[in-house]
Amino acid sequence: MTPSHRLPALAALALTALVQPALAHEQVGVTGGLLSGLLHPLTGLDHMIAMVAVGIWGAQLGAPAIWVLPITFPLVMALGGVLGVLQVPLPLQEPVIALSALVLGAAVATRLRLPFAAAAVVVGVFAIFHGYAHGAELPRSANPLAYGIGFVVATGLLHLCGISIGLLLRWPIGERLIRGMGVAIAVLGCYFLARSLGGIA
Amino acid sequence: MRTKLDRLGLAVATLIASTVAADAHIIGTRLGDFYAGAAHPATDPQDVILWIAVGVLAGSLGASRGRWLVLLFPLGLLAGLLIGASVPSLPGSPVMDAGLILVLGLLLAAGARIPATALGMIGFALAVLRGAANAGGIGPETNLPLFAAGLACTGYVAITLIMAITIAFRRAEAGDATAWRGIALRAFGGWIAAIGMMMVGFALASHAGA
Repeated sequence: MTPSHRLPALAALALTALVQPALAHEQVGVTGGLLSGLLHPLTGLDHMIAMVAVGIWGAQLGAPAIWVLPITFPLVMALGGVLGVLQVPLPLQEPVIALSALVLGAAVATRLRLPFAAAAVVVGVFAIFHGYAHGAELPRSANPLAYGIGFVVATGLLHLCGISIGLLLRWPIGERLIRGMGVAIAVLGCYFLARSLGGIA
Repeated sequence: MRTKLDRLGLAVATLIASTVAADAHIIGTRLGDFYAGAAHPATDPQDVILWIAVGVLAGSLGASRGRWLVLLFPLGLLAGLLIGASVPSLPGSPVMDAGLILVLGLLLAAGARIPATALGMIGFALAVLRGAANAGGIGPETNLPLFAAGLACTGYVAITLIMAITIAFRRAEAGDATAWRGIALRAFGGWIAAIGMMMVGFALASHAGA
């Protein structure tokens, strides 16, 4: 073996040492439930942008919204999740989830200063629809508790991400950046709304 | 020199490639049942969530209110395990477990100042329930004292560590700059309560479907 061939051979051996068994379709048990729950809010872009927008809007509104939202939002969302699990009919789920991205994005873009109670009602109504979608789409073979842990933690982390982005408000350029993000979220919300109503294939 | 290095590299790579998972067969030794008892709670997410919830709640109330739990929690686990082992047909209640997760989460989220006696009673009752649930891991060949000792040790270590970490986290609070720590604990309570609420829904849905 020439020196030029040894390096690829070593690299191939090292790569062989790093291989792991392929685990496709593993949405079962505790691991599957946790993974499904964690990924569910992250893989749906409409869910993800709305959750981040809630965090940013909370940061814009300041106290008490900034700390009441992360405490109460998961609870209201879980209530929606229970409705989803129990298969209670809830009309217009997809359009309302898309509308949530549009409304929350617009609120961030315009820095809408609603009274706290009004903001809580707006966010609470949307939380029920988001939770419903998570509950209704629970993989039946997965561990439900692990799924619940996964999606609550993922949603909470998305809020945290939004609140962290909201810290940019301390700088003038940060505020412009956040408003730009709000516009982007609202535009995406428009797209999802049009798609859910059949306007876009 | 270059050839020696290549050979050494090749040997190391071959050794790495031929590795398999370590398997110490600890369960096959005399103390296997101790480790089986110690590890059993980690196999059930309900144990993990409930233990964390009660530990964080106790820690958030401070060392003076929570310190009795260090003793009461493992004793409750032992009592529950003995009850569960004596009455094997004891029915578990998923709704009660879910309700407990919800209540503990709500207490934490609300920042409730529970008296030490009430906290001790809640912790002991929870430990009895979970101890009985862990009795499901006892087989005909299991050495009960070893299994119980393992479970009690894990309970003691887990509750003490969770409380200590929470107390240390809160103690660092000093004015507005670190007020987020208390909020973070309450937000964590909101998460636990949300998980509990979901579980109540799952349990009710399963009950209705059964």
